[in-house]
Amino acid sequence: MATNEAQVEQDETAVSGQEVGLSHQLKQIKRDITARIGLYIVVLVTFVAGFSWFDANLGTITFGYVSDYTLAQAAPLLEHPERLPPPTDMNAHAPPAFVEGGTWEHPLGTDHEGRDYLSRIVYGTRISVMVGFAATAIGLVGGVAIGATAGYYGGRVDDLLMRFVEIIFAIPALVLIIVFTEFVSGGNPDIQYAVAGAGIASIPIFSRIMRSRVLSVREMEYIEAARSAGVKDRHIIIRHVIPNSFASVLVYATLQVGVVILLVASLSFLGYGAQPPTPDWGQMLSYAHGQMHSNPWMSVFPGLAILVTIMGFNLLGDGLQDALNPRIDN
Amino acid sequence: MSILRYAIDRILQTIPVLIGVSLITFLFINALPGDVISALYADQALGEESIRALEERHGLNESFFERYLSFMAGILQGDLGYSIHYETSVTSLVLTRAGPTLMLTLSAFAFAIVTAIPLGAIAASRRNQSPDHLSRIVALFGVSTPSFWVGIMLIVIFAVTLGWLPSGGLVYPWRAPGHYGFDSQLELYVQTVQSLLLPMIALGTMQMAMLMRIERSEMVETLQRDYIQLARAYGVSERTILRKHAFREAQLPIITIVGLNISTALGGSVVIEQVFDINGIGKLLLSAIELRDFQVVTGITLVLAAIFVIGVVITDIAYAYIDPRITLDGGE
Amino acid sequence: MSSNPLLSVEGLTVQFFTDRGTVTAVNEISFEIQEEEIVGLVGESGAGKSVASMSLLRLINGPGRIVEGEIRYKDRTLFALEEGPDGEPRKREDMLSDEEMRTEIRGNEIAVIFQDPMESLNPVYTVGNQLQEFIKLNRDISKKEARSEAIRMLREVGISDAAERYEKYPHEFSGGMRQRVLIAMALACKPNLIIADEPTTALDVTIEGQILDLVQDLQEKYGTSFLWVTHDMGVVADICEQVNVMYLGNIVEQAPVDDIFYNTKHLYTDALLDSMPRPDRTVERLKAIKGVMPSAIDPPEGCPFHTRCPDARQVCEQTHPDLRDVSDDANIIHRSACLKHDIFNVNYEGSLPMTDETKRQANTSAGTTSVNETGADR
Repeated sequence: MATNEAQVEQDETAVSGQEVGLSHQLKQIKRDITARIGLYIVVLVTFVAGFSWFDANLGTITFGYVSDYTLAQAAPLLEHPERLPPPTDMNAHAPPAFVEGGTWEHPLGTDHEGRDYLSRIVYGTRISVMVGFAATAIGLVGGVAIGATAGYYGGRVDDLLMRFVEIIFAIPALVLIIVFTEFVSGGNPDIQYAVAGAGIASIPIFSRIMRSRVLSVREMEYIEAARSAGVKDRHIIIRHVIPNSFASVLVYATLQVGVVILLVASLSFLGYGAQPPTPDWGQMLSYAHGQMHSNPWMSVFPGLAILVTIMGFNLLGDGLQDALNPRIDN
Repeated sequence: MSILRYAIDRILQTIPVLIGVSLITFLFINALPGDVISALYADQALGEESIRALEERHGLNESFFERYLSFMAGILQGDLGYSIHYETSVTSLVLTRAGPTLMLTLSAFAFAIVTAIPLGAIAASRRNQSPDHLSRIVALFGVSTPSFWVGIMLIVIFAVTLGWLPSGGLVYPWRAPGHYGFDSQLELYVQTVQSLLLPMIALGTMQMAMLMRIERSEMVETLQRDYIQLARAYGVSERTILRKHAFREAQLPIITIVGLNISTALGGSVVIEQVFDINGIGKLLLSAIELRDFQVVTGITLVLAAIFVIGVVITDIAYAYIDPRITLDGGE
Repeated sequence: MSSNPLLSVEGLTVQFFTDRGTVTAVNEISFEIQEEEIVGLVGESGAGKSVASMSLLRLINGPGRIVEGEIRYKDRTLFALEEGPDGEPRKREDMLSDEEMRTEIRGNEIAVIFQDPMESLNPVYTVGNQLQEFIKLNRDISKKEARSEAIRMLREVGISDAAERYEKYPHEFSGGMRQRVLIAMALACKPNLIIADEPTTALDVTIEGQILDLVQDLQEKYGTSFLWVTHDMGVVADICEQVNVMYLGNIVEQAPVDDIFYNTKHLYTDALLDSMPRPDRTVERLKAIKGVMPSAIDPPEGCPFHTRCPDARQVCEQTHPDLRDVSDDANIIHRSACLKHDIFNVNYEGSLPMTDETKRQANTSAGTTSVNETGADR
């Protein structure tokens, strides 16, 4: 009896059909409180990211606290570390305001160079969101192309492409990206290489989903009809097969944003992603790791920022998934 | 029909994948900038002559294809190549470092399974009640938190602040107690557990969260089946239904997920070894990359991929063994 | 009828409390089952048959709840409410506890057979394992005795080499064989009543015939009563003695099987009969019942069937008919819930016929989603 409601829901999905998949999902999201929280977090994080981007270009002030380095300023400095100004010791490692000795001038304290920690975390949002979207986009485009081709043509093409995907999948993503980053960057790892690597590591999941969707769509009558009417394969894939699989791919894309943010944060932590002085959360944690004993608070906030961001994407992705497939939870 | 036959078939299927992995990593690594000779002797001014001599000794002057072939020939004999930096065979290097990594990942999986299955099952049986909500929140946090941050936080709380547990390093149970200055075997084991606890939780949290979600949803689905309702109609208690009737079928997907997650866990252990200063394969990999010791990097990548691929095969076989509906001939 | 029925149901109402409102899946139904009698519960899917039958065992989960009515089995009260001191309904004192229902009623007094034999057996345990467990639990015998009893029952339901089949998994049985296993399971627990929820619907016609024959033989041999839930009037004609026709949660007609077929008193039953092939009538083509059953979330006012009824009058939209005896024969009780009958005295004849137009409006406003009651049981 517990599925009573799900049953009603399913009937309705059956009536309305898959064509309205996306709007149906959005309607469901409105009703699902946890998914709504996820949506709010994603919107907020994206807004903060966009806002600090705008701000960084104008070189003005964020929340009243200046960050010494924006990404644009940092890039040339990276190549000439000797031009970095000496650490401003007097202000370094100031504790957060709510810890003894802290002031509200720096609510979360300052780092080892006296830079405001809160500002850096806010800037970090931009990097994480960009990383998440960019890497997912790479994985999505690559995966959808591979999966659609493999599923549509089948046979040899399918075998070859899916073997390739299996090979990528067999190497632990983190290891794959580190090796890739070293290879591409010529021994000078940086965030953009990590993003590209995370994108490649995301290809297997998207190609698998896409392939299985295509396999089911391929057999549908209207595809048959299009094919017998002499429509070109590429046209059929792009116009019919891919749009039809869009809803389920979108769900995984949302979840994958969280996964790649996590991956790239780990990379930055290990020194194979963002480099100092870029205010990246993983990179900040890398430094904070060495400060666990003397300044434990430094580890807390970048990690919380990662947690909240990823949680937003996970909640939203779960909500979309429930909406797409109401079989389990209602 | 025999399990052995099925297992051999599955293992043979993994060979092309492993060859592909070796080719790709070998290609990447050999294109890496900087070479091991100059990295190794950075502080010495080596003449052209001696560099060439060293290259020749390590076979670095051969063509890419020749090197790959001799590498693959070595692998077939269990030889992963020679580490120029560590001046020993990669196989023995990997074997000595495998212990801590296996200890870490296996204990993390054990922790994840032991906690996730009962919690997920309870959540499913009390659907939309407080245990369910609680477990879902725990699972959500688990999948959203980077494991290295969990590790750092655990160190800050339990090692730095409370001083209950060590902040890093592993005590190996296979060493003699005297090696660490312990008096008894028991003390060694206690110390092992204490040193393993935090990294295990750090690495296992995400696995636990993932398994818990799957356990819950599988259990929810299984509990709605007709045969469960039938068991209720025959007066079987809810407890028995949960433990006997629903449990077994719900566990089948978990087996598959554990197999697929081996890869994530091995990747995760690279980071966790760094956080907790554990001398495992992950740390070896990072320093080998730093040192451009490409034989070691290739060897480790291959070993990790092989562990994953074989792990998936083992879980496939276990699945086939446990689920009576699967006959091993391939058909239903 | 008989003063001492095996099971009696009085004014049973089951509601589901969903996000979209309250759904009355079963609406004040009453019926009886005598000893050694097969009683039919007939209707289209979504009529509430399965919910009604499962509520006899108090096995309604999730958002569903029995909100009214009294269910008595022999001298025991399976369900009854009374008004508490605060005016709210509460459990009556003589009503069995959940634990008593589980240990004393389910399985050993009332057993069930479900519609889908493929889904009713646990795929990861052997058939024997499940038979033995249920028999042991309900007959309080040792494992060994349960085993030999199970094998004996498997033989009884016509499974050859029963001892060998006992060790097999469900997927190694065909659909018909599985249903035989489930019948063996039910009978082996020695219940006095078996609820058979569309047990032959998932089977093909020849197998269905075999199973029906088997059930009739065994019913005579063991003297078990059956509540036979089905949508198939043919099956009803085959095995039932007493019939209840359900529509949208209501019993709309209730009579002995011959009277249902040859002296039909409700237009819905008529429509059901017209949609089945009958040996006693020759027709050009079978008639499907017009329209779809309205949503149980938002049922039509008045007579629930008026939106599809060929003879609906305006009065049918205003008055909800209860079930009344409309029999001409004093020896037979034949109840119907159709305002056409004089006993309702609502001036049916004087009321204007409903046009197709008004009916269509009523139909669309009621929506077309249905609470699928077979799904609801899972």
